[in-house]
Amino acid sequence: MIRIERRAATGWTDRLLAYVLAIAGGLAASALLMAVSGADVVEGFSALAEGAFGDTEAMRQSLIAAIPLAFTGLATVAAFRAGIWNIGQEGQAFAGAMAGYWMSLQLAGVPGAVAVPLVLLAAVAGGALLAMLAAWLRTRCAVNEIISTMMMNYVVVYLLSYLLAGGPWTEAGSTAYHQTPLIADSFHLPALGGVHLGAVLALAATAGLAVLIGRTPLGFELRGLGLNPTALRFKGVDVGRTVLAVMALSGGLAALAGASEVFGINFRLRAGVIDGLGYTGIIVGMIGALDPWGTLVTALLFGALANGALYMNVLSDIPSALVPAMQGILLLFVLGASVLVRYRLCFRPVGETA
Amino acid sequence: MSALFTPEILLSILTASVGAATIILFAALGELITERAGIWNMGVEGTMLCGCLAAYVVMSETGSPAAAAVAAVAAGVAAGLLIGLFTVSLKVDHFVTGLGFNLLASGLTLFLFRTYTAAGQPAPYATIDKLAVPLLARLPGLGPILFDQYLLTYVAFLMVPVIAVFLGRTRPGLECRAAGENPEFLEAKGISVAGRQYGALLFGSALTGLGGGFMMLAFASEFRPDISGGRGWLAIVAVIAGNWRPLRTTVAVLVFAVLDSLAIHAQGMGVAIPYQFFLMLPYVASVVVLAVVRSRSGQPARLGIPFIRS
Amino acid sequence: MTDEPVLSVRRLTKSFGPVRANNAVSFDVGAGELVCLFGENGAGKSTLSACLAGLYPPDGGDIRLGGAPVRFASAADAIRAGVALVHQHFVLVDDFTVLENIVMGHERGLFVRYQAARAKLEALCRRYDIAIRPEARVGDLTVGERQWVELLKALYHDARLLILDEPTATLDLRESRKLFRIIGELKAEGVGLILISHSLDEVMQSDRVVVLRQGAVVGERRTADTTPEELTRLMVGRDVARAERGIRHAGRPCLAVERLTVARPGAAPLLDEVSFTVAEGEIFGLAGVAGNGQKPLLEAIAGLLRPTSGRVLIDGEALDELSVHAIQQLGVGHIPDDRLVEGLVGEFSIAENIALGGHRDAFARGAFIDRAAMRAAARRAIVDYQIAAPSAATAVRTLSGGNAQRVVLARELAAARRVLLANQPTRGLDVGVIEYIHAQLLGKRAAGCAVILASSELKDLITLSDRIGVMFQGRLMGIVEAASASLEDIGLLMAGKSREAA
Repeated sequence: MIRIERRAATGWTDRLLAYVLAIAGGLAASALLMAVSGADVVEGFSALAEGAFGDTEAMRQSLIAAIPLAFTGLATVAAFRAGIWNIGQEGQAFAGAMAGYWMSLQLAGVPGAVAVPLVLLAAVAGGALLAMLAAWLRTRCAVNEIISTMMMNYVVVYLLSYLLAGGPWTEAGSTAYHQTPLIADSFHLPALGGVHLGAVLALAATAGLAVLIGRTPLGFELRGLGLNPTALRFKGVDVGRTVLAVMALSGGLAALAGASEVFGINFRLRAGVIDGLGYTGIIVGMIGALDPWGTLVTALLFGALANGALYMNVLSDIPSALVPAMQGILLLFVLGASVLVRYRLCFRPVGETA
Repeated sequence: MSALFTPEILLSILTASVGAATIILFAALGELITERAGIWNMGVEGTMLCGCLAAYVVMSETGSPAAAAVAAVAAGVAAGLLIGLFTVSLKVDHFVTGLGFNLLASGLTLFLFRTYTAAGQPAPYATIDKLAVPLLARLPGLGPILFDQYLLTYVAFLMVPVIAVFLGRTRPGLECRAAGENPEFLEAKGISVAGRQYGALLFGSALTGLGGGFMMLAFASEFRPDISGGRGWLAIVAVIAGNWRPLRTTVAVLVFAVLDSLAIHAQGMGVAIPYQFFLMLPYVASVVVLAVVRSRSGQPARLGIPFIRS
Repeated sequence: MTDEPVLSVRRLTKSFGPVRANNAVSFDVGAGELVCLFGENGAGKSTLSACLAGLYPPDGGDIRLGGAPVRFASAADAIRAGVALVHQHFVLVDDFTVLENIVMGHERGLFVRYQAARAKLEALCRRYDIAIRPEARVGDLTVGERQWVELLKALYHDARLLILDEPTATLDLRESRKLFRIIGELKAEGVGLILISHSLDEVMQSDRVVVLRQGAVVGERRTADTTPEELTRLMVGRDVARAERGIRHAGRPCLAVERLTVARPGAAPLLDEVSFTVAEGEIFGLAGVAGNGQKPLLEAIAGLLRPTSGRVLIDGEALDELSVHAIQQLGVGHIPDDRLVEGLVGEFSIAENIALGGHRDAFARGAFIDRAAMRAAARRAIVDYQIAAPSAATAVRTLSGGNAQRVVLARELAAARRVLLANQPTRGLDVGVIEYIHAQLLGKRAAGCAVILASSELKDLITLSDRIGVMFQGRLMGIVEAASASLEDIGLLMAGKSREAA
């Protein structure tokens, strides 16, 4: 019989310790999985590490892989801290990529210095609008945002599928790959020190979100909304408007994940390129303890894992599928640890006295 | 009118739909019971995948559909136990647990599949046959649709009234519903909330696993990454669209399956509407239904809220 | 019938952490006897009844039923042993029918025998003259009807000890009488009854009174041998310090409420044509049984509830369509009755809670929150309002109820430059804090504020208010001068009898 009791307060050292233990536990469980499958654990992990951090190129690739996860992770932080369960990062990322691509079509021939900011702006607007639809449905029609954002993920994916497979954006002569033609060079996110502009934007977004949550009136309302919306309403905060603003923020951040993938790496919109970024972003945000900087660190870790997995697959017999499994295991361990930080577990039968 | 709606094609669409609906129906009924007990299990997709892999491995090894179905159920129960440990015992957020579990299941099943097939993939097995009900199957029209189906299809559709009666008329069913509506009430009666929630979750996960197993046995002879292909999510959508009622959820599942078949046929027959729009409909419809229908929501009052005894 | 008491409690002790909720409590309840547990909020009455009903395991002491020692592992055990608790806070499943709520947890076997259960329930309803349909969904019932469902639940299981925890709080006078008639019938059947009540009228209808103070029994009296005055003295343990009201400053009208109505589709209106004015430097008391429109009235004035018709004016200016925030900017403070839900964000610090509402105005600097100003205001509040807390950064969740309420007071009294709305500001608090809050309300009055005070404590209303308005079913039944009003007058109005009719 497990009973749960709330702890009065926990210091940050306890929390850090719990996180370190959780990550260690998650890695140990992953090692166990490797061992069970008959692979050499040391070889596996060293291949993973080498693929992720082996040389500058590996690290560069890891960093690039982390960028979209940082955006969807931050989108999770913005919404979840406000108690708004936006799980539509996936759809909002797609919507951002689509809106950005649409803008690039309108801006043919415009120089990059003008075009890139406009494309990013359109992307943010696209993701934000989609998220605001869910906020509106919640405020006006009492539709649970978990449901509406989840549904919209599918609607957007099918819409994109239509646009790319026979629809107006389909690349001429390419029926096998569902994709758009390549985007002109002027729309590519400029490279800065080996990585595209997305890295700088992700860093800026992290800092911006941290300041917004901690230091601004909107952030104050965002945190209050997540803790006690009724008290906010009693003190004259327009809760509906706050929900709308928070969702716009969250959707806009998620949209940057899609835009940075399309305009920073793939240079075309293709079905499946951002599959799973949204869902993984939720996990990144959760492991990052819904803190912007924690989320950035987690995104870097997850990026490294994803990148290392490709290398591990080549170098050893261990299938790269280990990595998503590992990410899931890590999340469950961190979730478990966060419970232990907040609550005390009692394994005594009920009724027995201390 | 296009050639889409000739009686023969319509018949074949409907027959195929009922078969395909079985997969989602198992999962939707499982999720329905789980949600009525207050657990918002978002790990349906992952649970189904576990069922798929278990059925695939056992079918490849033994060739026995019965053994494979049992393995799928067992895999579902194992998935339910893990999800229950986090949601029921540790009070972790339900849908974060579910999403994490989906990621884990997606990676783990693929990892185990690759490990299993490292030394060479077993030959594809033959999918199971349909089991026509004597006489009834020969009824014109409805016969083939309803009575020339797989054994597990009959089981799935028989589960609908069984679950409706269970929730409405039986003691454990009432207790499960109370766990989802007002767990303090249950607690005040000296009935374990965790016990009922574990019960619902394990039973629901077993059904979901069976749904995955059925898909492998009836429609696929090989495992693929993420072979469940979003059907687990569709099951969750069906529960919502069905307003948490067994019969309406079943109707939603059938509508989804018909739309899916229509999408496939429409593509083949050159219908002007792109097939993606058929596939979009269940999701759009669910949101619209929730937004417009003002009748009393059947959503359990405490769905997805971890119960912590004060 | 034996002489053995139905219930006999000896030295029952129950602690929550360092707090001793029940300390060596002993008393008996005989067959056919109505024993009243009397005491202030927090005296340990509810904990005691929860221990008796199996909800909490006691830390020590004996409970005997009909002479046999019992130890309940759960509420179900208690119910099987014939102990039923009629909860103060309803423990019902809204989505279930009355019948489902009643049979829940008491059926054996797989299928619920609805036919038999319905027949038994209908028989009970007829016998005690309770009009409830077994098939009605509990969520559709009124608060009063739910109280009857709670009672039916207890009767259904043939309780031999029935514990009624403030059963009349949600009933009107007529229904309360009916309840006492049923209690009389149960007594005649030999059932032992425990009544927890705050109302002296009800207490005086019992056979014996056990007075609790700070978790311990401080006195036991046969009701026939005692007086309300003696019981009150026992309960409080000392004489009530009367707040000094001072002379009434006949200020000019500040707040006016004109024919304020808040309708609900398909139900009686929350507010029905309520009109009154409150002058500067006046405390206007609001009396009424809980749930008769006091809360909607305060919320409509604060702008939280949109009136269907009628209006509210402050200093002659109508508040029509003004937002909650705009109304607060006019100098309206609002102390809501549920401080942890409506008044405070528990996880926020004292400083953040003080800034709540002003975080875009007084506590903002440019695009940012002015954290220095926020901390300074909180430190001032901690000193001025004697809040026992280590620092301004302390989360209010960790404060005691009294200290948490002082945080609300600090914020709202500062906001209330013209009007203060106070809904049950002293509920659940210690005597010391209550006196402090009363003094603060009088301070606001002296400062020329128009104060509306809603309270379930008639005694407090009479001491503090200048005039008292009495609410019943959303209507203002009448306004009386506090100095000359009698408890009986107000009590009749609370039960829906206007003075002309009475």
